[in-house]
Amino acid sequence: MFRVYCFVVFISKKKILRYLLALFIIFSLNFILPRAMPGDPLTNLLGEEYILSEAALQELRSELGLDKPLTFQYLEYWKGIVRFDLGYSYHFNQKVISLILSRMKWTLALLVPSIILGAILGTILGALSGWKRNAVPNKAMTWAFLAVYSSPPYFLGIILLYIFAFKWGLFPFKGFYETGTIIDILQHLFLPVLIMSAFAASRNYMIMRGSVIIEKEKLYVVYARAKGLLGDSILFRHIFKNAILPVLTLVALDFGFLLSGALFVEIIFSMNGMGTLIYEALLSRDYPVLQGCFLIITIMVIGANLIVDVLYSIIDPRVREKG
Amino acid sequence: MKNKTTLNRLGLVLVALFVLVAVFAEIITPHSPWKRFEPYEKPSKDHWLGTNDIGNDILSELIYGTRASLIVGLGAAAIATLLGLLIGLASGYFKGPVDEWLMGITDIFLMIPRIPLIIILAAFLKSSFWIIMLALGFLWWTSTARVVRSKTLQVREMDFVASSKCLGFKNRYILLSDILPNIFPVVVPKFMLTVATAMISEASLSFLGLGDPSMKSWGLMINFAFIKGGLINEMWWWYLSPGVCIILFVFSIVLLGFSFEEHRESVIR
Repeated sequence: MFRVYCFVVFISKKKILRYLLALFIIFSLNFILPRAMPGDPLTNLLGEEYILSEAALQELRSELGLDKPLTFQYLEYWKGIVRFDLGYSYHFNQKVISLILSRMKWTLALLVPSIILGAILGTILGALSGWKRNAVPNKAMTWAFLAVYSSPPYFLGIILLYIFAFKWGLFPFKGFYETGTIIDILQHLFLPVLIMSAFAASRNYMIMRGSVIIEKEKLYVVYARAKGLLGDSILFRHIFKNAILPVLTLVALDFGFLLSGALFVEIIFSMNGMGTLIYEALLSRDYPVLQGCFLIITIMVIGANLIVDVLYSIIDPRVREKG
Repeated sequence: MKNKTTLNRLGLVLVALFVLVAVFAEIITPHSPWKRFEPYEKPSKDHWLGTNDIGNDILSELIYGTRASLIVGLGAAAIATLLGLLIGLASGYFKGPVDEWLMGITDIFLMIPRIPLIIILAAFLKSSFWIIMLALGFLWWTSTARVVRSKTLQVREMDFVASSKCLGFKNRYILLSDILPNIFPVVVPKFMLTVATAMISEASLSFLGLGDPSMKSWGLMINFAFIKGGLINEMWWWYLSPGVCIILFVFSIVLLGFSFEEHRESVIR
């Protein structure tokens, strides 16, 4: 017998509408920025590293529609977005969209495992620590996570890079090429993922710990104990599910912040991802690439929030029923 | 209980120490941070933390950096907290359409990838210290607004607010003298955490070279140490000292914020 398990995924229409509105406003902001900023809009749209003749510049100016009214430019901008056209980078001599797509996988390879590991580690350790918050090992753990919480991830990156790669030679010192074997890639990813996981875990840990401290005073916990359940099974069967909800919200809200952290960690470990791309684009003032990255990151952030909303509705049936 | 107060005190002492260093930077520094000595010097009696690539005394840079990092952190957090407080109060107190609109705006702001946006702004506007502070402040108010809103929703239903209303007090009076004092315990720790985030962000942005070179900040120092070969030449005192300062300061301020929260929790129970 096959049984089809079907989760009724529920996201309120209002939420979808807000996401779409956010997308619309942020994309519009991206249109306004190069035109509102000081300097020649042409330079702001092309970046500062193009070498073209005056005639070619004039041609480009009319091709980009800069001599047309703003409403026309705005419509053209949206037409470009729909065609996934984010402009051309004169520094990299490539279309911005293909440039970003080729770099994105390394950022995701760093970010996705870190977020998952950080969520698992942070919630389990945080739950244990909140459950017995006066035990000495748990206190030590809280101090350690507080320290990680307080440090910029890229600085941790510098320290670990120095100790493990430079001093002890356990890990490669420089970034890697696309052609490496799986083991090679894993070896390069280990330290950055370790740092980002610890950073993500520290944020989840704090919330989960506080959440368990509040939940464990509630009546259903007393009932579970009266029913004869023992400590850890109360924690993991009953409290965990309730206490994890604020963490889930945090994971969604934190996505953008962690992503930014990952961008800086990439630079330290010379990984060929979006962080390094932004860094290179920044050095040559390649505005189209910077703006393209901004848009793609926006889409990633909104996507992550959607995924968390779906997860939330699966874990907490109350969200579905409310309608 | 004893442990909690010691934590609190430790945080307070450290924060006070950093603030004092920032205020009296001119008096404490052994040299001017812009004066040039022999470059790449090791720590010595004359230069406790050595000198950097262009011969500036690193200890003096560090002390002046306290000022820059503190101004950005506190300034940005002050703007963000004030905005969040206003929006959260209005949203929670007036409810209805005001709430719908303000929370809608908050949700949209939450979706903006803040660091990438600030990178773009700073790139267009030829990196300045104040732009980073203002941008951080105007982008980081969202979570404060949410927390203040939910607390206001709770407080506005309490009896003393109802009686103030019956006595015919104006909204402004009720907001200022009944609701605001009760919101304060949530806002203070939130402010501390915002200072922490703002300082980490500033340090990261300066690391990209977006900081103001004329105003030495800790992030900028790490940036120079990293790109001018401090790491490869094993000059750990160069990049480690500003990093440790960032961690120590953020740590103490987070400590203060969390101990405040724990204290409040135990009071409620």
